[in-house]
Parts: sequence; structure tokens; C-alpha cells
Amino acid sequence: MSHLSLVKKLSRLKEEQEYADEVVLENIGVAFTRGSVVELSGEPSAGKTSLTLSLLSKLTQTGEICAVVDSANSFDPGSAVLAGVETENLLWVKCGGDLEKAFMAADYLVQAKGFGVIWLDLNGLSQRQLGMVPKTYWYRYRTRIKETPTLFMVTSEDPVTGSASQQSFLLSRERTIWSGEGRFKLMRQFLVSLHSRKQFYGQPIITRLIADY
Amino acid sequence: MSRLCACIVSPDSNQDREALIAVAHQFSYLLETIEDGILFDVSGLERLIGTPKQITEKIAAELRKNDLPGSVSVASTRETATLLARQNAAGNTANNTSDTFRQLPLSGLPIERDTLNVLRELSITKIDDLLGLPDEELIGRYGQEFRYILDIIQQNGTALFAPNVKNDRASWDFSLNSPVEDFEQLIFLLNHGLEKLFEQVAHSGHSTEHLDLCFKLRDRSEKAYEIKTSFPTLERAFWLKLINLRVALDPPGSEITAVNVVAHFTRPRPAQSGLYAASRPEPESLLLTVNKLKKLVGDENVGVPTMLDQRLAEAFTLDAALIPKGSERLDANEKAPVIAFSYFRPPVRAEVLVRDKRLVFIKTSRFSGHVTEYSGVWRANSRWWDAAWRTQEWDIEVEGKGVYRLCKTNDGWCLLGEYD
Repeated sequence: MSHLSLVKKLSRLKEEQEYADEVVLENIGVAFTRGSVVELSGEPSAGKTSLTLSLLSKLTQTGEICAVVDSANSFDPGSAVLAGVETENLLWVKCGGDLEKAFMAADYLVQAKGFGVIWLDLNGLSQRQLGMVPKTYWYRYRTRIKETPTLFMVTSEDPVTGSASQQSFLLSRERTIWSGEGRFKLMRQFLVSLHSRKQFYGQPIITRLIADY
Repeated sequence: MSRLCACIVSPDSNQDREALIAVAHQFSYLLETIEDGILFDVSGLERLIGTPKQITEKIAAELRKNDLPGSVSVASTRETATLLARQNAAGNTANNTSDTFRQLPLSGLPIERDTLNVLRELSITKIDDLLGLPDEELIGRYGQEFRYILDIIQQNGTALFAPNVKNDRASWDFSLNSPVEDFEQLIFLLNHGLEKLFEQVAHSGHSTEHLDLCFKLRDRSEKAYEIKTSFPTLERAFWLKLINLRVALDPPGSEITAVNVVAHFTRPRPAQSGLYAASRPEPESLLLTVNKLKKLVGDENVGVPTMLDQRLAEAFTLDAALIPKGSERLDANEKAPVIAFSYFRPPVRAEVLVRDKRLVFIKTSRFSGHVTEYSGVWRANSRWWDAAWRTQEWDIEVEGKGVYRLCKTNDGWCLLGEYD
């Protein structure tokens, strides 16, 4: 039976398959799978942008080229720099609130292949607009980036990708921590929880976002 | 057929180098630039032009025609031609007689200063004087190295040309039989032209990252495009797409009658990247995608975010001239996540209830609610001498909503964005 030791256990194989191509954000305790659509949704100030910038920071520092499709021109490079993003490795596409252009821009980027992260930022767009986007777009993206190193990140107030996303997290801000007394206060931290919408039985991940002035 | 070398020595050789090369190219393809001029092989021109003296005069006439100062000489060795030309570098003159050479001073020869002093004390100051001395005596006294000097003065030099003038571009031209209005119709022709052009470039062992495209138009004007990439490539389809995108952004105003493409040479790109290199798009693919995006959303809306070292309300810009580099940081480390800011475009107008100098309630078109916590006021201003700006800002938390940046200007209250 000794020769059987050469064969990997089924659980080990499954583990390898599951975690082979992941970007792990250790400070947050979350891992995103490459070659898939990942969605972060949540109410305003839930930490969607902060979490995405952490991901961009990790990848751009290692020399990967990432892209931001800024649907509503809401991207703040100052926050990106504070989060540690190497802006010289970042392609910024401003779409000025034109949803159709945003989706076409994302399509061009997906076709280019080789981007670390393509971030489609849908914050600031109305749900009525987002509701008009054909679901086929998401499946198109999913098919295009399958088996590539690209991670397609979507952020919006409400979930939009449906079953096309492999991972979908619902973020909510549990508490905002302020320091100081009376009129002299300073925003310090957000306490944010991440609930996976694809694994119903898992515990939510609680993380802290720090205000960096 | 005897060997003939020509030399042009110019007092402004650095400034006139290109013009001198152009003149020399009219007589020979074997060129070598020297410190103060240019050397070129004119062997075989006797049949076309005549005697060496006539060749010299012809070159001198060409220099005069181009308003180039300089001295020309033609001789059987390159050293002789150089010495003769240097002897009279001030004017546009021609000299190549043997007598003139024999009368040249020894100071023009590569002889050490001590040796020159000794020879001067012996009243040996010209090449003619040195030719009168026995070779063995000179070599015995100054060593075998002196054989090189003797070869020069006896015009036995055998040094070959070291061509150091290389083409730095290749071009392709085509004149159309009938004018074409739509550039799309020329794509197949341009494809053929690029194929020919890149063959030439590859033949010389180069690649290109810079194409100059010029259309001659029916109204006798010209439309020129300069297309550059950040990497060398000879991929025809890539260049063709790039040209197509560029011309689509800025089409020629009239019908096209002729096409000219110039490829500037550059060193080829190494084909193999690092084994552990991070994933990034191929340079060709990235550049094409950026250009496609620019066509989609506008030239000024695609680029790399750049921070500005200025005191501005929004101290950043989008640099449309840049594309992402993919450079790696050696001290990469994962930072703790920080609270990010996200702008509202345009800012959301708000009505704010202030009671006892405290922000109490906010009402906007998107939401309304009690202000539970806030920090501020943060005042900022600058550019009073130019485009003055002044802001008063607060970070506010609205009950059951989010955390926002509130701003008060002369026009009233507004929300600049949210912390997310």
C-alpha cells in the first residue's frame, strides 16, 4: 500500500483546486479567485471602495497592471495613494456616468487579457439604470476571463451580477468610531462586516478600515 | 583601378554633420565620420567624373552649393586625404598634389611631442625633410611604432574605412492614380506598404517604435501623423490598427493623393520576459486597448492617475499621455485597509439645519436624516492670485445612511462625496 502515498488525497486535490489561483488579502482575511467575476455590494459607506483599493494595492505593488472603469467619475486617486496603490500601474477610464460606455470599456479591457484586476465601479449610478443592463453582459465577462489571471471586480450598491459572479459579498458598516469630545471629533475607523452571498453558512468577516489623514 | 579616398574637413563639423553626410552620400555609400569632418571612398569615380583633381573640384562645388564651409582633398590613402584637408580647413578649397603633401608640417602627424621637439632641433619640420632620412635609422631610434608614421608619409597606408554612418530610418511611398476620400480604402495598400517597410527594417537588424505617416492631399496640402509606441515592434497588424485609430480620431480634411510612411530604427525588443514576471497585458495589446478606449470615451478620459504637488481642492489629474508601466516595487508590503473617498459628480446640493453652531439635520435629493457625528470644520483655500478657491468642509455621519464629506461654499451647502 506504500505506493498509494504517492497519490494525493482527494481533500488535498480539492484544496489545491480551490486555492491555486487566489489573491489573499491577509489584513482583511478574504481571498478573491482569479479568472472570475467578484462582486462587492452594500449600502453607502460600507467599505466597497476601500476593500477594492486594498486589492489594487496588493497587485499593483507586485507590478501587475490593473484598470479602473470609473462609471460616474467618482474615483479618488488620493485615496488610492493612501491605500498603497502604485498609480503608475493603474489605468483609469472615466466614463462620465455613461453606463453603456462603461460596459463597453470593461469589455475592451477583458479582451486585452493580462490585467490583474479590472474594477468596474458602478457606485453612484441609479438602480433604474443598472436594472436595464442585460444579464448576458456578466456572463460574457465571466466567459472571457475564465482561465486568465484577471480578476473582474464589480462594486455597486445592490447585487447586479447574479449567478455570473463566483464570489459575491454583501458589505455593511457596523459602526463608525470617532475620537475626541464635543465639537472636536475625528473620524477614526469603520467596522465593516462581509457576508458571502454564495456561502450562506459561513460566518461574516469583520474587518476594520482605518482613516488615514 | 587605384584606390581613392576623399576627405572633407569642416570648421563646424558637429553642426554640419548631417549636411556633410548628405553631400558625401552623393559620391559614395562607404562613409566614415571623423572628429572634424567626414571620410568617404571615391574609388571608381574616375570614369564618371575624371581625374582626382576633377573629383575634388566636384565635391568642393557641391559644398559651395550647400553653403558649407570646409576643405576637400582626394588622395590614395585616407591618412593623406585627411592631412591635406586639415591643412586647409578654413576655406572651400581643393588640394591633392603630391608637392603640397610633402610640404605639410610634421605637427599634423601622430608623433609624440618629445620626438617632434628633437626633430625640430634638427631642422626637420616638414614631411619632405622626414622622407629624406633612412627608415632603418628612424625605426632603430624610435621603435617599430614609428613604422606607422613612415607608412603615412610614404602614402602606404592600408587602413580600411570603418563605416560608422548608419541609416536610422526607412521609408515607403505610394502615389495614387486617383484621389481617395475614405482612408479605410487605403488599408489594404498600407498593409502592403508596411510589409515592404518592415522587411527593410528587419533586414538591417532593427525594429521600430516610431512611424511618421504623411498624406499628400488633393488641395496640395499635407497631413502628417506621428505615431509612437513605448516599445519596438514590427507586428504589421498592430501598427495598422494603430494607424487606423489615429486617422479616425483626426481624419485628413481632403482627398488623399499620395502616402508616405517613414519607420525610425530602434533596437529590437528582447523576446523573452522574466520567468517570475507579473501578469500584464502584452504591450501591443495594452496600447491598442488604450487607443480603443480613447476612441470610445474621449482622449482626455483614459490614462494614468497622477498626483499634483499643488495646493488644490482636488490635487490630482488624469495623465492621458501615459500608459501603465507595470513596474514592480521592491519593498512591496500589504497595508492595513484605509477608508477611501468617492466623489459625487456633480456634488449633491444639500440643506443643512444648524442649531447652536452644531450640524443637526441634512436633507438632499437622495436622502435626509439626522447628523449623528461630525468632525470639522476643515478650512482650506489657495490660489488667491489666480483662480481663488476656498472651502469649509465637515465629515458627517448621517443616521441610517453613510459617512459623507459636507462642504459649504458661497453657493450653499453640498455633499462632495462619501467615505466608502
